[in-house]
Amino acid sequence: MAQGKIYPSAASAVADVPDGAVVMLGGFGTPGLPQGLIKGLLSQGARGLTCISNTCFEPRADEYNVARLVENGQVSKLITTFIGRPAQEVPALDLWRAGVLQVEVMPQGILAERMRAAAAGLGGVFVPNVYGHPLDAGLEKRTLNGVEHVLAPPLRADFALIGAHRGDHLGNLTYRLTQRNYNPAMAAAAAVTVAEVREVVAAGGIDPERVVTPGVYVDRLVLEEPS
Amino acid sequence: MALRVAAELRRGQVVNLGIGLPTLVANYTPPDAGVIFHSENGILGYGPHAAEGEEDLDLINARGEHVTLPPGGAVVSHTDAFAMVRSGRLDVAVLGALQVSEKGDLANWMTPEKGIGSPGGALDMAAGAKRLIVITEHTNGGAPKVLKECSYPLTAAGRVDLIVTDLAVMEVTGDGLLLKEVAPGWSVESVRGLTGAPLRVSDGLKEMDFTLPQHPPVNKVYPSAAEAVADVPDGAVMLMDGFGGLGGMPHYLMLALRDQGAKGLTVVSNTVGIARVSGFGTPPSPDLQAVDHSILVERGQIRKAIATFPVSPSPSRPSAFERAYRRGEVELEVVSQGTLAERLRAGGSGVAAFYTPTGVGTVVAEGKEVREFNGRQHLLEEAIRGDFAFVRAHKADTLGNLVYRGTSRNFNLVMAAAAAVTIAEVDEIVEPGVLDPEAIVTPGIHVRRVVQRPAVFSPFQPIKPIEDNGRG
Repeated sequence: MAQGKIYPSAASAVADVPDGAVVMLGGFGTPGLPQGLIKGLLSQGARGLTCISNTCFEPRADEYNVARLVENGQVSKLITTFIGRPAQEVPALDLWRAGVLQVEVMPQGILAERMRAAAAGLGGVFVPNVYGHPLDAGLEKRTLNGVEHVLAPPLRADFALIGAHRGDHLGNLTYRLTQRNYNPAMAAAAAVTVAEVREVVAAGGIDPERVVTPGVYVDRLVLEEPS
Repeated sequence: MALRVAAELRRGQVVNLGIGLPTLVANYTPPDAGVIFHSENGILGYGPHAAEGEEDLDLINARGEHVTLPPGGAVVSHTDAFAMVRSGRLDVAVLGALQVSEKGDLANWMTPEKGIGSPGGALDMAAGAKRLIVITEHTNGGAPKVLKECSYPLTAAGRVDLIVTDLAVMEVTGDGLLLKEVAPGWSVESVRGLTGAPLRVSDGLKEMDFTLPQHPPVNKVYPSAAEAVADVPDGAVMLMDGFGGLGGMPHYLMLALRDQGAKGLTVVSNTVGIARVSGFGTPPSPDLQAVDHSILVERGQIRKAIATFPVSPSPSRPSAFERAYRRGEVELEVVSQGTLAERLRAGGSGVAAFYTPTGVGTVVAEGKEVREFNGRQHLLEEAIRGDFAFVRAHKADTLGNLVYRGTSRNFNLVMAAAAAVTIAEVDEIVEPGVLDPEAIVTPGIHVRRVVQRPAVFSPFQPIKPIEDNGRG
C-alpha cells in the first residue's frame, strides 16, 4: 500500500498504466533514466503504448530503457529525437519498416519545448523553424520578426516516469548533475508523474531553494532498487 | 582537427560540441581559456573527459561520455539548454558532417538509405548558433565530403561559416569556399583533388595554425552601480522588477539609473512602483521612503510601462505612476501577471509568440488573435525582450552565475534571460566554484555585469514624501 505519495515498489507505482497510454520516459543516456520503473512496466506488460523518449538505441541487457519496451512489443508509437546514429541500424527501425511501430522524430529543442508548452498550459508556441526536410510537413508556419517559425503544439502524457536524486514525502525533487535533463519538463507535462529516487527524506529535508521539481507535479515516489 | 577548432574559440564564448569528432574539442581547450562548453542535456562550462576511475556517472556530455565540471560550471534542464540556443546565447556550434557544401549547407542527421533519421540536437544548434564550424574528415574513404551540393537531407541550409578537416581549413563565403590553411605536407593541388567543390585560395594561405589564442580575461564585476548603468541610452526598454516590495528589487541599480538620467524609458515590471504607497516596506522613520520605480517616474524618465499591477492598492495614496498617467505623461500596457512572466520567458527562450487561455474575453484580449485549441479559446501573446535587465540576486560568482534568496527570485529569473545586457545587483560576489553548480538558478551566460550592493545600503532613502490627492 502506498503511504501518501510513497509507493512500496516500482511495480506497484506503474501497476495501473493501461494499454494505449502515452508515457514519457525521462533520462538522457543513463543519468535520470528511471530504470526500475521501466523494468516494472516491462513486467506489467501494458501494450499499445506511445512512448516519448529522447533516444532509442539497441536494447541493452544491462539497461532498462525504451528500446527494451520496443523489443518487448509494448510500444506502438515512438516519439524520439535519436533512433540510432545516422548509419546505424537498430531493431526499432525494422519494426518501423514493417509497419508495426510508428516513429515520429523531431529535433531535441522542439521536443523539449513542446513538453514545456504542455507544462505551462499553453495552446502552442511559435519557435524558429529548425526542421530540415521532410520533418516539418504538416506544421503550421508563420513568419514572425522576419523569420519563419513553426507552431509547436504542446506534448502531454498520461504518465511520466522519471529518475531523480532525492525526493521528500511531498514529492519535491532534486536531481544530481545531468540527471536533470528532460525530467523537470516531463514531470510537469504528464497527468501522473512517477519519480524514482535514490533517497527519500521527510518534508523539510530538501532546501526549498534547491527544489527543482516541486511536489505539486509529482504523484508517486519510489525508492530506486539496488540493481 | 580538434586542436585546430579549439584555436577558433574565444574567451567567454558559449560553445556547443556535436557528437563524434566535435566532442574532442573540449579536450584540447585549456581550462583557463575561459570557453564555456554547453551540452544539450543541460551543462554549462564542462571540461575535458574524466580520467579513468574518476568518472561521475551522473555527469555526461551529449555523446554520453563522462566529462568533468570545473569551477564555475552550472547545471540546467534540457528545456533551458535549448531555450538558450534559440535565444541567441550560443556563440559557436561545432558539428560533424556526412556532407557539407560550398554554400554552407550541412547534412549530418540522416542517410537516405535508412529512411528515417536522428535529428538529435544538431538541427537546433545549426539554426541557433551565431557561428557554425564543421569539423570532418576531408573524405569518406577517398570520396569527398566537401561538395558543391549535399545530396543527403540537410541539417541546415547556408549556415556553415568554417570547415575544418584533416587536410584544410576553408571559409564559406558568398563566393564559394576560400582555402585558408592546408595541413603540413599537403599542397593546394592535392587538397583540391580531394574536394568536390571549387576552392579559391586565400592571399594569406598558410600551413594549418594550431596556436591557441590568448585573450584578456572577461571582467563582469563592476565597481559601482553608476559605472554598470552608465551606458543605458534614452529610450531603452528596461526589465526591472522586484514583485512590488523590497525583496528582490534592484534598488542600488535603480538609484544609479535615476542619477544617470536616461529618459524616454519603457519599463517592464510587475508593478511600476507601489512599494512606497503600499504595505511593502514600511520605512524606519517618517523622512525616509522605500525606493521603487517611483523615483524614475518622478524624474520624468519613464515614457511607458508594461505592467500587471501599476496602481496603488489604496485609492487615497496613488502611486507616482498613477499620477503621471492621469496627467497624460506616460503610456501603460496592462498585462496579467502569468502572461507577463510567460512573455518574458518567451523572450529569453527564442519563442516569438504563444497561445495562452489567460485573458480571453477581457480587456487584455483587445486586438489579439483568438484561437481555439482542444475546445478552449486562447490568445496569441508575443514575447518581450529588453535592452537591459536589472536583476536582484543574493550571490554571484565572477562569471555571473546567480543564486537568489527566498522570494527574491520572482521575475528576476525570466528577466535575466530576456535582455541584451543583464546587470545583477547582489549581496556578495564570490569566486567561481563557490556556488554549487546544481544550485545556480541563473547561469552566467545570461549575465553581462555584476555589482555588489554596498555593505551599508538602505532600501529606504530620503526622497520626497507621498503626495496626498486630497481624498485621503
